Amino acid sequence: MAKAIGIDLGTTNSVVAVMEGGKPTVIVNSEGSRLTPSVVAFTKAGERLVGQLAKRQAVLNPENTIYSAKRFIGRRYSEVQSEIHNVPYKVVAGPNDAVRFEIMGKQYAPEEISAQVLRKLADDAAKYLGEKVTDAVITVPAYFNDAQRQATKDAGKIAGLNVLRIINEPTAASLAYGLDKKKHETIMVFDLGGGTFDVSILDVGDGVFEVRSTSGDGHLGGDDFDKVLVDWMAEEFLRDQGIDLRKDRQALQRLTEAGEKAKIELSSAIETTISLPFITADAAGPKHLEMRLTRAKFEQLTANLVDRCVAPVKQALSDAKITERDIEEVVLVGGSTRIPAVQALVRRLTGGKEPNQSVNPDEVVAIGAAIQAGVLAGEVKDVVLLDVTPLSLGVETLGGVMTKLIERNTTIPVRKSEVFSTAEDNQAAVDIHVLQGERELARDNRTLGHFRLEGIRPAPRGTPQVEVTFDIDANGILTVAAKDQGSGKEQKITITGSTQLSKEEIDRMVTDAQAHSEEDRKRREEVEARNAADSIAYQVERQISDLGDRVPLNEKARAEQLIAEIRELVKGNSSDVARLRQLTSDLQQVAYGLSSSAYSQAAGAQGAGTSSAQPGGGDDVIDAEFKEN
Amino acid sequence: MDSTTKTTKSPPGSEPGETERLKEELRREHEMYLRALADFDNYRRRVERERASAARSGKRELILSLLEVLDSFDRALEHAGDSSSSISEGLQAIYRKLQRVVEAQGLTPFDSLGETFDPELHEAIGSVPTGEYESGTVVDEVQRGYRWGDEVLRPARVRVAE
Repeated sequence: MAKAIGIDLGTTNSVVAVMEGGKPTVIVNSEGSRLTPSVVAFTKAGERLVGQLAKRQAVLNPENTIYSAKRFIGRRYSEVQSEIHNVPYKVVAGPNDAVRFEIMGKQYAPEEISAQVLRKLADDAAKYLGEKVTDAVITVPAYFNDAQRQATKDAGKIAGLNVLRIINEPTAASLAYGLDKKKHETIMVFDLGGGTFDVSILDVGDGVFEVRSTSGDGHLGGDDFDKVLVDWMAEEFLRDQGIDLRKDRQALQRLTEAGEKAKIELSSAIETTISLPFITADAAGPKHLEMRLTRAKFEQLTANLVDRCVAPVKQALSDAKITERDIEEVVLVGGSTRIPAVQALVRRLTGGKEPNQSVNPDEVVAIGAAIQAGVLAGEVKDVVLLDVTPLSLGVETLGGVMTKLIERNTTIPVRKSEVFSTAEDNQAAVDIHVLQGERELARDNRTLGHFRLEGIRPAPRGTPQVEVTFDIDANGILTVAAKDQGSGKEQKITITGSTQLSKEEIDRMVTDAQAHSEEDRKRREEVEARNAADSIAYQVERQISDLGDRVPLNEKARAEQLIAEIRELVKGNSSDVARLRQLTSDLQQVAYGLSSSAYSQAAGAQGAGTSSAQPGGGDDVIDAEFKEN
Repeated sequence: MDSTTKTTKSPPGSEPGETERLKEELRREHEMYLRALADFDNYRRRVERERASAARSGKRELILSLLEVLDSFDRALEHAGDSSSSISEGLQAIYRKLQRVVEAQGLTPFDSLGETFDPELHEAIGSVPTGEYESGTVVDEVQRGYRWGDEVLRPARVRVAE
C-alpha cells in the first residue's frame, strides 16, 4: 500500500515526514539534510534548481531566484505591496489581480513555484522509501484564508500529488504531541521560525481542533537575532579597528555564520567565543576578530526582539476571550524557541506553564502532518500501539542491591535472562525477590513478588548456575522464572500489575531515583566493595585449606589477618569503600604470592585451580549472588 | 440431517455471521502482519545503509570543524606568502600536516578557479565585473571546497565573473 507523507511547506525551509512502523520519521533529502530551503531558481542556462542548490546561486541570479513564495501564495497583487519591496525578484499583477512572478519574460504563479518545492520533497521521500509517493498532507498557517489554502492545495496538484488534506500548522504541532487524544483542552502554539512569528490558541476535544484566535508578526524570527549579533560584532570591530566589516561581502558572510553559531551555542552554554582570524586586513597587516559573548549580553542585545513577541500573545489571548490561566498546554514550534530567553518569556506569559518541547521544534509540524497523513491513509489505526515498561524490573542480589534485567522504556513484548549463582557454600535454595523501580537498593524499590527455588545440589558458593528469566507479554503480564541448571528444577511467578501504574506514580519514582542518584550510587559502591572483599576472602580461605602445608607460615598469617579484618568490616556493613578496596587488593596480592609459591614448591600440583574458576570470570555469569535467607 | 451437511454449516450455537466476521478479522490481522513485516524489512535495509553513513556523520562534524581551522591557515598563509621567515615555514609545515590528517580520512580538496560555476560544487558569494573571463567562470575562491568520497562535503565559496 502506498505511503502518505506529511509536508511542512515553510516560508524559509520545508520538511517532509512519513509514518513508518507506526512512528513518524523525518526524511533526509537528497543533499543529506532534514531541512530543504523553500527556494526555486531558473538559471540562465535554462535549468531549474530547487532547495539548497538554488540557494547557492542566489546572489548571482537574484532576479530569477524565488524564495518566500509562501508570502504571496493565494493573495491578490494589491494586498502584497509591502512584501514586494522586500524581494529582489519581479512581482507583477496577473489576471484578476493575481500575483505573478516574472522570470525571464515568463510569468509564474506562486503555486507553480511552491509546486517545485513540493515535487522535490515528494521525490526525495520516494527515494528514501523506495516506493512511489502520491498522497500528502500539507500544512498552512492557521490564519491562511480560503484562497491561500486553495492555492496551496493547487500547488500540491501541480506537483502531481493527491492532497489528502490541508491542515493548520498549530494543529499539526499539537498532533505531534498527541494532544488530540486527551480530554477537552485549550492549547497555545508558539511558533517562532526563521522569519515569521505566529501564535495560535486552539480548542481541542474528541479529536477535533478549533482555532480560536491567531496573531503574530510576519517579519520576526531567528534571522533577526542573527542580524543583531552581526551588527554588534561589526560595531565593536569598527570601534576597535576602524573597519566596517559589513562592507566586505566575504567578511559579512563569515560574521553571519559566526553569529548564528554563537546564538545556537548560547542556547546550551552561558558563554561562547567568536573567533574569526584574518577577517580582514589594512595597510598595517591582517586583522583578527576575537570576542567573548555571554548569554546575558546576548539577552540584552536581543531583548527588544523577544519583547516583540509579547503583544501578539496578549492579542491572541484577548481575541480568544481567555486569560493565561485558561491555557492548559503550550507547544513550542520553530528553531528560535530553543533560545532560553524566548522560553522564559513563554513561561511568563502562560502563568509558568512548562511548554511541550520534546519534539524537535524545526520538525514538529511535519511530524504532525505525517501522523495526520497516516490516519487518513488508514495506516495509523491499524498499527498496534506498542507499549513500553514504564519502570525497570529486576531482582535483589547480594548486599540488598537491585540488579536490573529489563531497563525502563523497553518496548514490550520482551524477554531477558541472566545467570546468577549462590552466595554461600552448599546453599540449597535461592529467594527470588522481584523488584520494580529505578533506585539502586532493593529496599527503595517496589516489590512485585517473591518466590523460592529449592533443591539446588550442594556446591561451593558461586558454582551453581541459576538462570532467571523475565518475560513480559504484549498485555504487560510479567512472568519471572528461575531454573537451576544443575538439577533442572524450575519455579515461576506471574505478575499482572507491572505496567498498570498511574502516570503520577511513575513520574514520582523516576524523579525520586534522580534525586537520590548520588547517594544510591554511593551505597551501591559500598555493597559492591563489600561483596568483592568478601569474595576474595572466601577464595583465599579455600586456597589456603586446599594448599595445606605448602603455604609458608608467614604468608598464611598475613592472609588470615587480612581475611579477619575484611570479615569484620563486612559483618559491620562498613561503608569505608577505600579501606575495603585496599584490603581487597592487598589480599589479592597475597593470593598471587600463595599460588606462585605453591607452584614453585610443588610444580605440577593443581593447587591454584579453585581461585581461577571463581565467578566473575565467565562471560554469562554475572558477578552477583543471591542472599541466603 | 447427516453429518456431512452439518459440517458445511456454521457450528451449532454460533451466529450466522460469525464465520464472515472471523474471516474479516483474520484478513485484517494478516494485512497488519504483512504491513509490519514490510515496514521492518524496509527498516532493516535502511538501517544497514545508514549504519555506514552514521559512522560518517559522527566524523562529519569533526571534519567540518577541522576544515574551519584549515581555512584559517589558508588565510594566514595568504598573508605570510611573501615573507620567508622560519615562522612562516613552520606554519606551512603545520598546515601540510593538518592537510594530511584530513586527507587520510578520505577528504580531497577540489580546484574551482577557472571552472564554470556549478551549484553542486560552488556557493556564490558575489560576482565580479571582468572582461578577462567568460561570464559564469569562477574567478575567486575565498574558501576551498572539499569532497568526501563521492559526496561534496563542503562546496567552495566563490566569486564569479559577471
